[in-house]
Amino acid sequence: MAENDERALQRVSLQSNDGQIITVDRVVAERSLLIKNLIEDLGDEAVMNEAIPLPNVNEPVLRKVVEWCEHHRKDPPQTTEDENDSRKKSTEIDEWDQKFMQVDQEMLFEIILAANYMDIKPLLDVGCKTVANMIKGKSPDEIRKTFNITNDFTPEEEEQIRRENEWAEDR
Amino acid sequence: MSNFKRASMAGAGPKSASSSAAMAAGGHNKNGSILNALRATTMIDSKPVLPAEILVTILDYLPVSDLLRFARTSRRMREMVYDDTRWVARLRSMGVWDEVEARRRFEEVMKRRREAAERAERERLAAAAAAAGTTVGAMGMPIGRGQPFPGQSLELFPGLQQQQQYPPPPVITTTLFDAGEEELRRKKIAEEKAQREQAIQAAAQRRAVEEMEGLQDGFETMKVGGGGGGGALLPTAQPQKDPFSDPEALLNVVKNARSIRGHARQEYGKIYGALAPFYFDLAKAKSHTDPVVFRVFRDPERQAQMLANLRTFAKSDWAAGWRQREEKLATMAGIFESAVLHEFETGYEFWDVDGRMHKYAHVLDLLNGGTAAVELFIQKHPIFSDKEVLANPMECVNQALADDVTLEPSRRFFEVLTAKVNEQADIINRVFPKPAEVFWLLMGKIRDDILTDYVTPLFDETHERSLAAYVKAVSGLFEQTLQFFRTVNAPKNEKNPKEQEELAKEFALKAFEQHLDLYLADELDYFTQQAEAEVGEWEKKLSEQDATAESFYMGSFTNRQADKKDFLTSFRKVVMMPVSVLPSLPLGSPFASKPATTPTTATAAAANGGELQAPENPEQSRPVSPSLTAPVIADRTGSPLPDKAPTDELAAKAALMTSRLEGIKSLFSIEVALSLVHKAKSSLGRAAVFIQLGGQAGGEAREQCEAIFVALLRILGGRHIKPGFDKAVAHLSQYNPREVSHHDKGGVAPLVTFIELVNVGDLISQMIDVFYEQQLTTPKIADRNDFLDPAGLAKKKFEQMLDESVAAGLNKGIDVLMDEVEYVCATTQQPTDYNPTMTTDPFNDAASISGMSVTTEGTSTTTNSSSNNRKSRYKSGTPSIWSLPSLPGTPTTPGGSSGTTTNSLGPQQDIGPTPTAFRIRDLVASHTSMLTGSTDKSMLDVFNGEVGLRLFAAVCKHLKRQRISTEGAIKLIADVNLYYEYIRTLKNNDLLAYFKALRELSQIYLIDAKHHAKEMATIIADNERFSGVFRAEEVYEYAERRADWYSVRKEVERAMYGLECLVM
Repeated sequence: MAENDERALQRVSLQSNDGQIITVDRVVAERSLLIKNLIEDLGDEAVMNEAIPLPNVNEPVLRKVVEWCEHHRKDPPQTTEDENDSRKKSTEIDEWDQKFMQVDQEMLFEIILAANYMDIKPLLDVGCKTVANMIKGKSPDEIRKTFNITNDFTPEEEEQIRRENEWAEDR
Repeated sequence: MSNFKRASMAGAGPKSASSSAAMAAGGHNKNGSILNALRATTMIDSKPVLPAEILVTILDYLPVSDLLRFARTSRRMREMVYDDTRWVARLRSMGVWDEVEARRRFEEVMKRRREAAERAERERLAAAAAAAGTTVGAMGMPIGRGQPFPGQSLELFPGLQQQQQYPPPPVITTTLFDAGEEELRRKKIAEEKAQREQAIQAAAQRRAVEEMEGLQDGFETMKVGGGGGGGALLPTAQPQKDPFSDPEALLNVVKNARSIRGHARQEYGKIYGALAPFYFDLAKAKSHTDPVVFRVFRDPERQAQMLANLRTFAKSDWAAGWRQREEKLATMAGIFESAVLHEFETGYEFWDVDGRMHKYAHVLDLLNGGTAAVELFIQKHPIFSDKEVLANPMECVNQALADDVTLEPSRRFFEVLTAKVNEQADIINRVFPKPAEVFWLLMGKIRDDILTDYVTPLFDETHERSLAAYVKAVSGLFEQTLQFFRTVNAPKNEKNPKEQEELAKEFALKAFEQHLDLYLADELDYFTQQAEAEVGEWEKKLSEQDATAESFYMGSFTNRQADKKDFLTSFRKVVMMPVSVLPSLPLGSPFASKPATTPTTATAAAANGGELQAPENPEQSRPVSPSLTAPVIADRTGSPLPDKAPTDELAAKAALMTSRLEGIKSLFSIEVALSLVHKAKSSLGRAAVFIQLGGQAGGEAREQCEAIFVALLRILGGRHIKPGFDKAVAHLSQYNPREVSHHDKGGVAPLVTFIELVNVGDLISQMIDVFYEQQLTTPKIADRNDFLDPAGLAKKKFEQMLDESVAAGLNKGIDVLMDEVEYVCATTQQPTDYNPTMTTDPFNDAASISGMSVTTEGTSTTTNSSSNNRKSRYKSGTPSIWSLPSLPGTPTTPGGSSGTTTNSLGPQQDIGPTPTAFRIRDLVASHTSMLTGSTDKSMLDVFNGEVGLRLFAAVCKHLKRQRISTEGAIKLIADVNLYYEYIRTLKNNDLLAYFKALRELSQIYLIDAKHHAKEMATIIADNERFSGVFRAEEVYEYAERRADWYSVRKEVERAMYGLECLVM
């Protein structure tokens, strides 16, 4: 227990790609499996004394991510092996997360990428769900715009896909 | 997704690629340097484009409709959406994806494709000149195909054309699948689609009739796959369709789903198309009257089927909001279920078996397996309050005698119960779609409620009253219970062909589990207790009898020769009997119920129930055995206490002594052994019933059966037989022939009784053997080949103990027998036998008279027995007198064959053996023959050999005490011949050599030594004549016994030494 307490008091510095250093509690930082594994691999001292660089993440995004981690610091630790169950039914996005995700699309994507990079699965899931909600009810054209997708179908092809999946069209 | 390395490998973007490079670099020099390496990495791009990995995750959260719209955005997206695993997962979540089926299908297709590819290769070579051109398929896998693709089928079902984006040239198309297979499948799909479309249209029509206006859009979307090709499809498909069967297709859509790799999406599409409208409609419904599903399908069966389908379908819905939808569905199903259940209950109350009960039980089964209905059915079943069934278990105790239990009431109880249950089985068959499950559930409840309530108080009560009643009750009721479960007419179970037999055992075990341990322990205790009591009581009786016998014999005396002969004859019969008699004895009866345990009719069950009682009741089975026990009992009660009391005190003491020795056969009794065996058998029979349970309980029961057998052997052997033998051997060693008055019985009393004992022991051993075979080996309780088996070990130990006791006894027995032989030689051999020229001396007058009386058989009076006694004392005191030359003229001659009568004929008239020889021969012969067949052959051989040798020694010794005249030599030769003939019957060659020598030896007395001293000397010195049995010196010693020795001695000696010396 003593070790745990000590660990709870430890602080970790994270460095974004634009050089900003954000210091957080170790437990908060360890919501990220990337950092957790890094600390385990390098040993406590190496990490305590220096800031951990996160070259894929810029400062605003990192702050956002840290905010999420702070809020979820008490969540049960994520398990690594439920890879297979990823298709399992998801829970709904809770209210705080919904608010948290009310950001512009670019930021949303950055958060998702950062979550992916830092290996914070719950955050990634929330992000994906949010994106999924954005897609819901949109026409293909709208989707393309949203996701910056170039249409490489001919109109006939597109029509054909529509037809063969007509069974799924509802409402 | 959770792994950034994987993300980078997917080539998601430059960012992750560079990060992974950084990490890789960091891996080489650890610690601080990695941070530097990371810091040194420069970022190139920051425009947010989500990598494919993440897109895939996002797609997982999309509802199906959005998912497929997403597919329309670009080719890459379409590929991602169309990815088969995505759809397989959905099918799998519904439980309709069969991987085995999919693999089989796939392999079939692969095989055909290979064949087709080979064919195509040839044709393509041929067609190369024509150069019609090959096409590249959507999947980027150009595969030439030889079979012309029928254009018609393409038109039939355009929905599948995504794999042939380019209008197919008549000859070649590309696909993953063989053309034929593809074509067939498409046709099938087309038909099914058409069918479904039909169904939907029909439903729509009906619904239209049902004036529902708001549902229009819900059904429009169900024109699945027909949008484009419908025109082409309908003309071909429609004529065959029966509009009334259409809803069936809708109902069975889940069941009909197939597992085809690469087509999971289409399969899912079929299901989705059919069910999604209902599903989403239901999810939106406000009340239970709203959902379309209840209006499209009017009858409860179909509604239930659809609800079950929707429930399955809901499992594949994991888009946001699924929880509410599923809850809604569950609520609706719940409302529906309780409504149906209510109907079922009403039907139940009115006992409307074939009507409402049947109908709604099936509806509920369609909905969710019908557990609710089954539970209700069992919970409220009238059998549990049926007065007829609820019998009073105490009847079993009350109707029986004290400390006993009768199973007749319980048999009636089971009879009634069986009848009732069979009735219920019929009803269950009529009501429920899966009757077997329901039936056994009901049986479980019956077991827990009715049976346990009946059995437990009965057991408690009997256990309190007496152990005997308890063990009887447990075993009997168990058998009846097992029978009950076996014979009820359970509905057949096709799905789970678990045999009724197995179920019956399982149920019976569960019902008795709590009693089993206690019972098995009690059974062993009970048996041990009973057996100990039996042996103890017998011992007590014996000591009482001893006391009474003692006082009795002090006052009276009798000859019990006749009794004993009687006994011996009957005993012999008994000895010969066991093997043939025992199997037909009650030994077989406990298992007689076994073959009857598999009857199917109730009458057979009843019969068996009655039969069951047989093994419980030893008294019942005993009457079969009187042939075995009766003579023994009769003799035992008759012999120890003869009605005539001995008068002479001395004679009475001797009689008492005899009585003690006679008591050998009451040292242990076959009767006790028999009763022990019977007890063991009934205990075993009771416990063995549980063995058929198998498993752990069966194993325990089996062990307990073995334990009972071991206990039997321990008590019978250790407590009963061993002390008996020990006592008998002790008595034997105390035997002194000179103290015994009667030597005319044709046997040494203690030895005879001991041999009887051996016979009894052997009989018991045989009984045990038969018992072991019958009760333990045959029903597979003990394994004969397992040398560690406790029962087998105990049996071996028992037999060994018996053998050792017999051997020890026989050892003593030989001594006793020889004592007797010597005694007979000393007392009955008249000096005139071998020396008829002797004069009679005054002592011998009396002796010869009494000698007559001695040999007078069976008619001894008080007077002559007393004189006899006196004489024998006198004789025993001075045995040497008989070797003295006595007065001649005492005419004692042997009788006929048996030596039991004496005729006072002239000595010259007869040349047969002397009565003494006859008596000795008979004595020995009768004892050895008595053992025949009663003990081990090798032991018997040893015994006979020993007896022969000792007899030889005794005869030799005897010979040295006699004076033999030339006339008497004839008698002697006759005697020796008699022995020789007897020994020959023993078939022992080594032994025969001795007696041959003896025969030769006896001839030396015949020689007229006066005239043939020389020849005699030759014979004496002729070692070969005696084949080494006698040395010359010994022969010389015998020659000294010649009556005329002193007169011829000089001649002979001269012939032996002097003459030879001279010659030399």
